[in-house]
Amino acid sequence: MFFRTLTAVNTASTAMSFEWPWQYNFPPFFTLQPNVDTRQKQLAAWCSLVLSYCRHHKLYTVDVMEAQESPVFNNKKIERKLSVEAIQVVFEELRKKGNLEWLDKNKSRCLVMWRRPEEWGKLIYQWVSKNGMNNTVFTLYELSNGDDTDGEEFHGLEDWMLQRSLQALQAEGKAEIITMDDGKGVKFF
Amino acid sequence: MHRRGVGAGAIAKKKLAEAKYKERGTVLAEDQIVQMSKQLETFKSNLEEFASKHKQEIRKNPQFRVQFQEMCATIGVDPLASGKGFWSEMLGVGDFYYELGVQIIEVCLALKHRNGGLITLDELHQRVLKGRGKYAQDVSQDDLVRAIKKLKVMGSGFGMIPVGGSYLVQSVPAELNMDHTVVLQLAEKKGYVTVSEIRGSLKWERERACHVLDHLLKEGLAWLDSQAGAEAQYWLPALFAELTSRDVTPEEANQMTP
Repeated sequence: MFFRTLTAVNTASTAMSFEWPWQYNFPPFFTLQPNVDTRQKQLAAWCSLVLSYCRHHKLYTVDVMEAQESPVFNNKKIERKLSVEAIQVVFEELRKKGNLEWLDKNKSRCLVMWRRPEEWGKLIYQWVSKNGMNNTVFTLYELSNGDDTDGEEFHGLEDWMLQRSLQALQAEGKAEIITMDDGKGVKFF
Repeated sequence: MHRRGVGAGAIAKKKLAEAKYKERGTVLAEDQIVQMSKQLETFKSNLEEFASKHKQEIRKNPQFRVQFQEMCATIGVDPLASGKGFWSEMLGVGDFYYELGVQIIEVCLALKHRNGGLITLDELHQRVLKGRGKYAQDVSQDDLVRAIKKLKVMGSGFGMIPVGGSYLVQSVPAELNMDHTVVLQLAEKKGYVTVSEIRGSLKWERERACHVLDHLLKEGLAWLDSQAGAEAQYWLPALFAELTSRDVTPEEANQMTP
């Protein structure tokens, strides 16, 4: 399976340049603030930066050690970087908000969900309804990599995330996941 | 030869004369006052005439407005003193500054999460102008200062701190004394300040400098940067030049209400 990583983004040029928030060039943004209120604002800004950065580069899994060297947490221009401990604090904050899940006990790798599964499910269901394909069966591959979904936001969605979104739809009674000979499929209602 | 008046009669006479002089003096003074108030009245009515004649100009041109305000001040007329009455009705200046006050509050509130309630008059000016749009009357910094003074009177916690020839406008009632003010003035050039800089320029003890900086952190006006080398820097978002031109993004607005 192909995972894009945070550092790979460095070399991979993206069509639209990412717009950094003002805080990114504000040196103290990279020092965890001692004042509680200020720190809250700081963490909120960090969460939003991480999510929009991952969304912009379509990143789903993040390695904490690698993250430290990524441009998000390391602003070379002003020579400031967020420490591993501070990154952990930001990630923990994202976890509390439901946007992040740890992949291991040591908290070294995590899934970043810049859209939560329910939100993805909604997007997929909207596309299905718009195209009058309710009651049609799709393979998961067709949904995420088929020609029909080319240009849709969920095109290229990673398998685990796709499955989670479909599970969310299933829970709402809008879809049913079915096991087929060569993998999984889904029927929308 | 006449005898010199040295008796009781002479004394009485002298007293009488003195009383007469005094009386005369009072009358004269009264005359003067009457005359002066007449003049003032004429001046006032001329000023009123002038105002009504140049109404458009006063509303449109900020420089003209400053001069008019100064003219009013010399004779003790405050066109902003009340919402009703000749001045505000004639000129609509009461409305003008009221409206400006509301716009100032709006800008300050929208940026409070960034700067902790402290903003330079320049930035405030820029943002108020932007918010008013192209076709609104022009507004000068002098107008802003007047409007802020009115807000101050209303007990809204607004205040102004003189800094480097301009002002920092404070929209949140943080307790700032002279020590804090001079440190802000010191930070104005670079956007940050350090303990050594304070000790160097103000000849303070270390404790006094630290105390002030801690207070600024506590009030949410300063941010700590501990990656600046040997010594920590205390940054003030209000004085962070790069921020001045940045609009509040929708994402940033969301962060305000977590």
